[in-house]
Amino acid sequence: MRRWVQRTHLAGLIALTLAACARGEHVPAGGAFTVTDDAGRHVTLAAPARRIVSLLPSFTELLFAIGAGDRVVGRTTWCDYPPAALAVPSVGDGMPPSVEAVAARRPDLVVLYRSGPNVTAAEQFERLGIRTILLGLDRLEELGPAARRLGRLTGHARAGDSLAAVMDSLASQPPVPSTTSLVFIVWDNPPIVIGAGSYLDRLAALAGARNVFHDVRSPSAQVSIETIVARNPDFVAILSDSAPPVPPRYASRPEWRVVRAVRERRFLFLPGQLFGRPGPRAAQAIHDLRRRLEAAR
Amino acid sequence: MKYALLAAAVLTTLAAALLLGPANVPLRELVDSPILWQLRLPRALLAFLVGGALGVSGVALQALVRNPLADPFLLGLSGGAGLGAVVAIALHLPGPWALPLAAFVGAVGAMALVYRFGLMGGAELDPRILLLGGVAVGAFAAAITTALVSLAEATELRNAFLWLWGGFSGASWTTVLVILVYAPLPIVVLAAAARPLDLLALGEEPAQYLGTDVRRLKRLVYLSASLLTAAAVAVAGVIGFVGLIVPHVCRLLWGRLHHTLFPTAFLTGGILLAAADTLARTVVAPRELPVGIVTALLGVPLFAFLLRRWTVS
Repeated sequence: MRRWVQRTHLAGLIALTLAACARGEHVPAGGAFTVTDDAGRHVTLAAPARRIVSLLPSFTELLFAIGAGDRVVGRTTWCDYPPAALAVPSVGDGMPPSVEAVAARRPDLVVLYRSGPNVTAAEQFERLGIRTILLGLDRLEELGPAARRLGRLTGHARAGDSLAAVMDSLASQPPVPSTTSLVFIVWDNPPIVIGAGSYLDRLAALAGARNVFHDVRSPSAQVSIETIVARNPDFVAILSDSAPPVPPRYASRPEWRVVRAVRERRFLFLPGQLFGRPGPRAAQAIHDLRRRLEAAR
Repeated sequence: MKYALLAAAVLTTLAAALLLGPANVPLRELVDSPILWQLRLPRALLAFLVGGALGVSGVALQALVRNPLADPFLLGLSGGAGLGAVVAIALHLPGPWALPLAAFVGAVGAMALVYRFGLMGGAELDPRILLLGGVAVGAFAAAITTALVSLAEATELRNAFLWLWGGFSGASWTTVLVILVYAPLPIVVLAAAARPLDLLALGEEPAQYLGTDVRRLKRLVYLSASLLTAAAVAVAGVIGFVGLIVPHVCRLLWGRLHHTLFPTAFLTGGILLAAADTLARTVVAPRELPVGIVTALLGVPLFAFLLRRWTVS
């Protein structure tokens, strides 16, 4: 019963996301728009942004989801979703952004991920007269606020708010009682796993799987194989874009085979495009993970 | 007395490495546990053997270039190993041994280049040329590595650096076997050169007059020490500081004669690295520290203390 309720709730959230994306109504451009970004700067635009460069795949997905996709004039090489985004010219990998390549797209707004090098890049853009917004986007809780502010700045406030409401509701859901456990292994030598302060940890919790490294208070951490053995997860989750998915190389190494889930080849191959970054498809990712867990059981 | 203490330290360190770990296994269950046989034991042995190899290699290279600052990685080896590892990842070379083998090939390549530098214009492995050549080759390899990393689109490349910073996460009986088969040859060659190396400390000309074939000695020592370090890189990445401080510690405790320096440096290096790895695994559990950080944190204060004694006396 409980699981059924959870599942219908999730299906409802997916439907809501789609609905929020479909309603692309424009707010008439009145006075100035001001929002505060995650670096504490006030970003003011006289009119909704018409030419936007998005420097993170998550921002590109959000912009398309709120109906501002037609205003995206630049993206990174990593921005591969939605498929329509691939038609937008790329400005490079964005790490760090090439100021010239971005400026050549003549944007009136550049959306950057909040990080040290990007703060410097934002200052350079501002000196060129290009407005910038720095947004943090590491956790599920940050999707709503980001959608809301991007909606405001692009004149899609209502679509932005409605997507934000769906994301906030997803983020405030209590974790599903877990019946299974998993470990996210990002790298094998040295072993790097995903900890509690992360998007993937939340996705797993909402899909009904306990991350065995939930006690590690940082997004990722180096651990020893011995610790993974002791935590004894039911599954090893791996982000992978190869089709068909291939078991990782380390799976056949003797030291890794001490881990039960590796020995029994209980791998969950999660598409990196859907799971690798926080985005408007979070509900879909949770649904997908739950389906995989049920199929693997 | 000193030797008894050294033997006791070896046993204590290895016992601690086997008994302590992030997983709390009761002593009675530990004996049958794969955690002991497949994880802790090979890892402790690998750390000990790599530490020993770096200690011996450090003694040999410091004697060769007659410079107390020489470190096994100074002669371009770490740069070459890094380049090899990054190329392996960028080209998606298959197989679990691709990365270590490529690092080994890179290290040996850098070593060969520095060796060639050292022989140019009849320089006959002049220490100054070797050191400068090592720094130059290392910088060149690092530049190519950085170019590859910034141009390639593989996010995995960042992780190549994690591997390179060194550690024993990849320890297994296979890696222990690799170093056990490989290391004895260069170590035996170096041990056989102990007496001539003592003479070399007097200077090249005196050593020559006293009957040493200095040319042959320098080539043998350089190649053996570098191959030993390259093997250590292949199984454990670049672990700094062990090869630098272990020779100094041993010289202070056991004097300058190489027939005692080599065995004591092997055991001291082994102790330092096995102990550092045990700390790396346990102090911040469930997380783990890169072992190079621990060797530096343990090594630098010790080194400072030794320097003080050295300058006072």
